[in-house]
Amino acid sequence: MLRFLSRPVTTRTRSAYRWFDERTGSTELLHKGLYEAVPEKGGWAYTLGSATLVLILLQLFTGIFLLLVYTPSFSDAFPGLDYLRRSDRFGSWVRGMHLWGAYVLIFVIGLHMLRTFLSASYKRPRELNWVTGALLFFLVLGLAITGAMLPMDQAGYWTLVVVTNIPHYIPFIGDGVRHLWRGGDFVGQASLTRTFAIHIWVLPFLLFAFIGAHLYLLRRHGEFGSWVNYEVTGADPDKELAERIVRAEPPYPTRRIERMWAVPRRTVDFFPDQLFKDTVISVLLIAVIFVFGYLVGAPLSEKADPATLSYVPTPEWFYLPLDQVLVLSPQTYLVFVGAFALVGAGALAFILLPFLDRSRDRAPLRRPEVLLPGLFLAAMLVLLTVLGASRLYSL
Amino acid sequence: MNAPSFLPPLASTVSPQPIPTNLFGNSSAVAVIALLHIQIATFITGSSFLLVVSESISMARNDERHERLAHTLVKGMAYVFGFGSALAILWVTWILLGMWGTFFVALGRITFWAFIFEAGLFVTEIVLLYALYANWERLRAYRRVRLGLAVLLAVALWWQQFMIDVVASYMLTPNGGDTNQLAQILNPTNLPLTVHRTVGNIAWAGAILAGMAGIRYLRARRRGAGAASETAFWDWAGVWGAVWAIGATLMQPWIGYSYAKDIQLHAYPSWYRMMFGDLSNVFLMQITLLGLIFILGTVYFWRRMRASETRGRRTQVLMLVVLVLATLLAATPARFASTYAEAAAADQLKPWWDGGLLNPIGTMIPNKIIALLAMMICGLVSVTSLLRAHSRGELHWGDATRGAQWLLVALTLTVSSMMIVMGVIREHSRQPFLVNGEMTIQGQKVVDPPPTNGVSPGSAP
Amino acid sequence: MAATTLSRRRFLIRMTNLGAGLITLMLSIPAIGFVLAPLFEKRTRTWVRVGEIDSVPVGLPTPFTVAMPIANGPPSGPVDRVVYVVKTGDHRLHVLANTCSHMQCNVHWDPSLGQFLCPCHGGLYDVTGHNVGGPPPSPLPGWVHRTVVDPASGRTVLEVQNQYDERI
Repeated sequence: MLRFLSRPVTTRTRSAYRWFDERTGSTELLHKGLYEAVPEKGGWAYTLGSATLVLILLQLFTGIFLLLVYTPSFSDAFPGLDYLRRSDRFGSWVRGMHLWGAYVLIFVIGLHMLRTFLSASYKRPRELNWVTGALLFFLVLGLAITGAMLPMDQAGYWTLVVVTNIPHYIPFIGDGVRHLWRGGDFVGQASLTRTFAIHIWVLPFLLFAFIGAHLYLLRRHGEFGSWVNYEVTGADPDKELAERIVRAEPPYPTRRIERMWAVPRRTVDFFPDQLFKDTVISVLLIAVIFVFGYLVGAPLSEKADPATLSYVPTPEWFYLPLDQVLVLSPQTYLVFVGAFALVGAGALAFILLPFLDRSRDRAPLRRPEVLLPGLFLAAMLVLLTVLGASRLYSL
Repeated sequence: MNAPSFLPPLASTVSPQPIPTNLFGNSSAVAVIALLHIQIATFITGSSFLLVVSESISMARNDERHERLAHTLVKGMAYVFGFGSALAILWVTWILLGMWGTFFVALGRITFWAFIFEAGLFVTEIVLLYALYANWERLRAYRRVRLGLAVLLAVALWWQQFMIDVVASYMLTPNGGDTNQLAQILNPTNLPLTVHRTVGNIAWAGAILAGMAGIRYLRARRRGAGAASETAFWDWAGVWGAVWAIGATLMQPWIGYSYAKDIQLHAYPSWYRMMFGDLSNVFLMQITLLGLIFILGTVYFWRRMRASETRGRRTQVLMLVVLVLATLLAATPARFASTYAEAAAADQLKPWWDGGLLNPIGTMIPNKIIALLAMMICGLVSVTSLLRAHSRGELHWGDATRGAQWLLVALTLTVSSMMIVMGVIREHSRQPFLVNGEMTIQGQKVVDPPPTNGVSPGSAP
Repeated sequence: MAATTLSRRRFLIRMTNLGAGLITLMLSIPAIGFVLAPLFEKRTRTWVRVGEIDSVPVGLPTPFTVAMPIANGPPSGPVDRVVYVVKTGDHRLHVLANTCSHMQCNVHWDPSLGQFLCPCHGGLYDVTGHNVGGPPPSPLPGWVHRTVVDPASGRTVLEVQNQYDERI
């Protein structure tokens, strides 16, 4: 020990690190992680995936602090958060970052889905990547809506009432599902306890399990990128492709894929090229959350009043399409058709897209039979959001 | 204004005022010019969107067909713009100022800021459109500039439409003269109208392109084998236009229904008139035309796929059958659908087969909703099936039959009719008001008509 | 010797599977039972006093706020609910909950409309609670209720139970 302390600082650090590395293999791990090959073109578009991960970690981080002050009690939840809003500037800042983090996360996930859809990154052998990603999207939506229920202000309480009511439209098991979620026929303390448990444990556990799967699959097959990375320009395409495959750096060539898409023309190292772009985007997004979390913050209406006659329940912006569908699915069994059958069919088609897409090519313009229905769905979501917002916020 | 009064069943909400019977007095001149203006303006606005799409694709893929299509659209817009502008100027100076002067001045005071935008954007469009038209070839070396001009033009045209929607929605659901711009933009019927019109513009431009392509195809066919590249191009353009026309119309059922819902909530007498009152049969025509658009589209896709012997024709036939049934279901007249309130008031709370007024199988709601859903889904499947055949390379350009081209022309005429009927419904649902609940047509007449029924002109009844 | 021998390897695998199955069973029986038990739990029905209803005018739904105890689950405080008392011209009494049958938003009586209005999606109910407009698929739920005449003052007191009647 004395010998160790008598050496200069730099050698001490180096040998300390070497001690650690011998036992953990950290250098090798870092090398494998950082120096992976990624396609050269389109790097800025591919940052959306890592941005999603960073935002989810941010939610985890800000969520831990909120957990230190929040009480999942019908009567005590609101006063705690109200205290934050009125007296604890940093606390309400963290709460604001948690809310804006959620909003930005949903927006970024939407962009990420759009990018992977356009580039057909979900085709063989990456279908499961898309499936796990689609499930992740629904988990994030679930986290967002259960989180919205927790403050137990008017908005939170009525969100809890309305959203827990939706399952009752499912035939046969609907009433049971509603009862189980609420912990009773009506919304009460049990409903809040369950929702809290779902929000901080059940869904995050599933979320991180699927994130692990999603990232593992990404690393296994390599980042696909998009069609612009795979152009064949030479006179002899077969020869060119063969050369590319021979020269390929791991994780390429992707196995079980058409030769044309097995290896990008040129690759760069993940570190520092792609990681730099990821960092820039992450900094920008976190800056937006940082600023909005302070300036706008998270709103808090009055304490929940189940006996109110004047409060107008208003859905969160990311639920506006569903809300507009509910407005337009009047009476009788059409509520089930609108809320479950249509939305359910759409969700199923969304999850199973890699298996429905039988097109041959990967460039979006060469598969109009997939592009146009996808854009139609995206346009409908945007339009329904606009129409819902107009209905709720018109003056 | 906002509180809908729930009236005794089947009663008209405002007793119609006597309207003088000369040509200007009964607003026929207004109607003709307004409807013509709308046909031209929406074509131009919709075409600008298709122009941006085609120009982008031609740049991304070095695609000559899309470049030629973009050029064709620019030329079409330029040709029509002059006449359309003259019409619009006639509309504003003679009709609005000359015949409806009081109304126009009053409205102008409230929505003046929107009209400033209208005027400025008009000049902007002239500059952009003619720059594009005159320099199309010259800008070939600068594709990004050309695309940029097209994008600016599309934005300007859309913004101009948005501004006029602020004015039009004020007329339907006025807010008592509040000049606050945000309040006018967030008028409850403004955004739904804007969404409805934006999507409709694209559909109309696609339909005109389809019809025009159909006619040009027939002309090229008549010229014989030498014009093979011409027939191929116009065949392709016809399919492209039809896909946009049907594709955009797919969204209209939900959008239109949302719009009608907002009208129900904020201008109930107008809504009641459209759905149950004297305009309900006109609206019936409208919903039949909508069904016809999808039917014509599906028949066209079917015949086109048949001509090239592609796979997936059976899907088109199946969709056609469902669409015909859906259109028949949607065209249920209002007489067959009493509401619960009406049946209760008439003390006829029994099913119709028992002599009562209730229809437990389904009334307007949900029958018409089911029909609209079916139309949307079938239309989507039909378009997707065609695009699949195209992706498989099974559509050979130049194969189209003559009959298929006439279907495209029929599609154009149907969309055009739908826009005309919509205009008729829009104006009549508000009658006799120009500004709903506040200013009537008679209340602002500048040209004195012969007095009728002792009502003196110029006084608001 | 048996015709087929069970190798040591296969025996070990089968025993491991059996063990895993036992663990699964021992974990899932309590867990699933715990999760599903509330569905079968008996509800505790309590009568709650609403108030005197003699002065409620005919044809004007009047709201009362009542602290409704919960019917099952872990004990916790009562939840405030609204009871709308409606007297119709034919001497009938309707006791309605202000819960919309569409998405369970809070419904209120709108005098200018002469109907109950749900602000969420514009649902409308007439004075007896029947759904007459908008998305709601069924009438307003009614509270199980009874009227008691207070022997001291002779006034009619309304009591409700913490459950809806069969009208929904």
